Amino acid sequence: MERIRHFFRTRQIAVALLITVFLFVLTTLINPRSLNVNTAGSILALTSMLCLASAGQTLVILTGGIDMSTGDVMSITAILTVSILHSGLSSGIGMLAAFVTAVAVGAFIGFLNGLGVAAAGLPPMVVTLYIANVVDKLQYVFTNGTPTHTSVPNWYKQLITTRFFSVLPSILIVGALVFVFVFLLLGRTRYARQLYLTGNNPRAAFLTGIRTRRLKIITYTIAGILNGLAGLIGAGNTGNVDCGTFRDMTITTIVAVVVGGTLLVGGKGSFQGTMVGALLMIVLSNGLAVLQVSDSIRNLIMGIILIALLSLYNRERSVRL
Amino acid sequence: MKRLTKLRLSPAYSGFLLMMISLVAYIILRGPAAFFNINNLASLFKNYTPIILVTMAQAFLMFMGYIDISIGAQLSFANVLAVNLPTMLGVPVWLGWLLALVLTMLLASLNGLIISYLRIPALLESFAMIFVIRGINLAIQPKPGGHVDPAINRAYDRLLFGFLPTSVVILAVALLVWMLLKRTTLVNHLFAIGANERNAYASGINTIRTKVLTYAIAGLFTGVAGLCYTAAYATGNPITGEIYGLQSISACIIGGVPMAGGFGTVFSALFGISFQIFVKDSVVQVFKMLPGVYTTYWHNLFTDFIILVGLVAAIFFVRRQDKHRLAEVSAMLEKRGND
Repeated sequence: MERIRHFFRTRQIAVALLITVFLFVLTTLINPRSLNVNTAGSILALTSMLCLASAGQTLVILTGGIDMSTGDVMSITAILTVSILHSGLSSGIGMLAAFVTAVAVGAFIGFLNGLGVAAAGLPPMVVTLYIANVVDKLQYVFTNGTPTHTSVPNWYKQLITTRFFSVLPSILIVGALVFVFVFLLLGRTRYARQLYLTGNNPRAAFLTGIRTRRLKIITYTIAGILNGLAGLIGAGNTGNVDCGTFRDMTITTIVAVVVGGTLLVGGKGSFQGTMVGALLMIVLSNGLAVLQVSDSIRNLIMGIILIALLSLYNRERSVRL
Repeated sequence: MKRLTKLRLSPAYSGFLLMMISLVAYIILRGPAAFFNINNLASLFKNYTPIILVTMAQAFLMFMGYIDISIGAQLSFANVLAVNLPTMLGVPVWLGWLLALVLTMLLASLNGLIISYLRIPALLESFAMIFVIRGINLAIQPKPGGHVDPAINRAYDRLLFGFLPTSVVILAVALLVWMLLKRTTLVNHLFAIGANERNAYASGINTIRTKVLTYAIAGLFTGVAGLCYTAAYATGNPITGEIYGLQSISACIIGGVPMAGGFGTVFSALFGISFQIFVKDSVVQVFKMLPGVYTTYWHNLFTDFIILVGLVAAIFFVRRQDKHRLAEVSAMLEKRGND
């Protein structure tokens, strides 16, 4: 018993994986027809998408902050991407322009977040939320409610959604690239060590000579760039963009990060965890879709499972200790 | 003079200034005659009483260092219950509304219990709860609509003695209830938890009981807000309330309630939400004056932008105020030492 307890407390990623497998098996048992190449492919595609979106969130949460602008940055870059691809440029140059725009817009918003959080010292949740609100409203103003082009050019959509061997979607390659990038960033750089230290104890980190303020601004900027790229890829993956397409992604990314074992107070966690968390979230929502129950029951089950998951391994310390 | 200093050092001062600025701007833009018209004031109070009450509820939780983004969903919960319970159970309307209120309090207490016993961070817990509450709401009433006795709507809209809107009375009673509660040990304990939960526990406060009761009080206010919403709009809607969750938190912060908890006054919440309301309405007025046609998208953009600026201003202000307060206290101590 003690060993099981220890396992649950220390090996959070393994536990999350176990739960994912359990949920997947459960889904298949309830509806055997749901086990097919198509579902597997779409789970992989959605998971890669969520991993992309959660990469920036992971970095920010590790510093002890939170980024409520993820979904809105993604939405605005998705809209920009589609309008650039429709603007008559040849596909190569258009792609390059869209990429540069996504990075620039993401970096700019991320930098503003960083300034608000680190330079002004505002509560991260509130300042990023309001910057996100402004970004959201900007989309409606620029597009007058609905973008001129809502559908993504066919070639771009195919580029992202083609499935090799009818299972592996090409977005998986992008996901792998981002994974390698974040993995190396968090595992091999001085920046990452400073990041973990700052999240663990900002005061101590500052006193040991880490420029925590600059570090946070850089982190929010990197997160913004990653979110911008997630919007670029997300446009191709969904095929249709509108104002606020990815708004709901924000909180989903936070949950994916937390379910992956990263502490919300910062200083502990990993991107591998986030990936497992993302997989768990997607398998869960896929399972609920397969269940064929009403909207209300689906929400209810989702909420209860979330509470159960969170209580399993993101508990705060007891006051009694 | 002393009064003035006291006001300047009050945590609600930043919110007060922001509200006054936005109020003056709104009165000028609207024209004093149109603004002080009794019908205009009545419709302002009628429309905004639910969100004001919800913001007060959020403030109580924030005094304790907790937040609840599901508070808006709880408002919708009270709303759909009030609309549907009388017909579902075949009980008189007043009993149905009372039941709706009690059930909302129980739901809020459930939040408090989950936070206390499972120790999940409040932000994540309330996010998960949004799904649960939305599920319940949709089960009770899948689509917006429903029937509310027009007499209730008329009673809510009526001006008592020809000048006093019912909603103002409700707000005044809510404020009075909080003022009375402030004299109880419960509220003392709540602030102690906000300052430092571990110390509060160590000094013998039953933290779990305090937390659950505070959530229940917040639930009471949210429930009343839901009933006001039902009376004002005479319809049930399972999800519209959800946006109030995050809006009430930002209103509290603009008004000067610290996120960490431990101190603050309920006036912060009132000032913060008034600022948001006046900014929203002023922006609409400004766009009316400009030549050309502007969509509501422009209104929304400028409203949110001004609120963001107000937020930054409020927080800088609070920080300066903290320094002043520190200086004031050390000067006082020095004086006492000399005597």
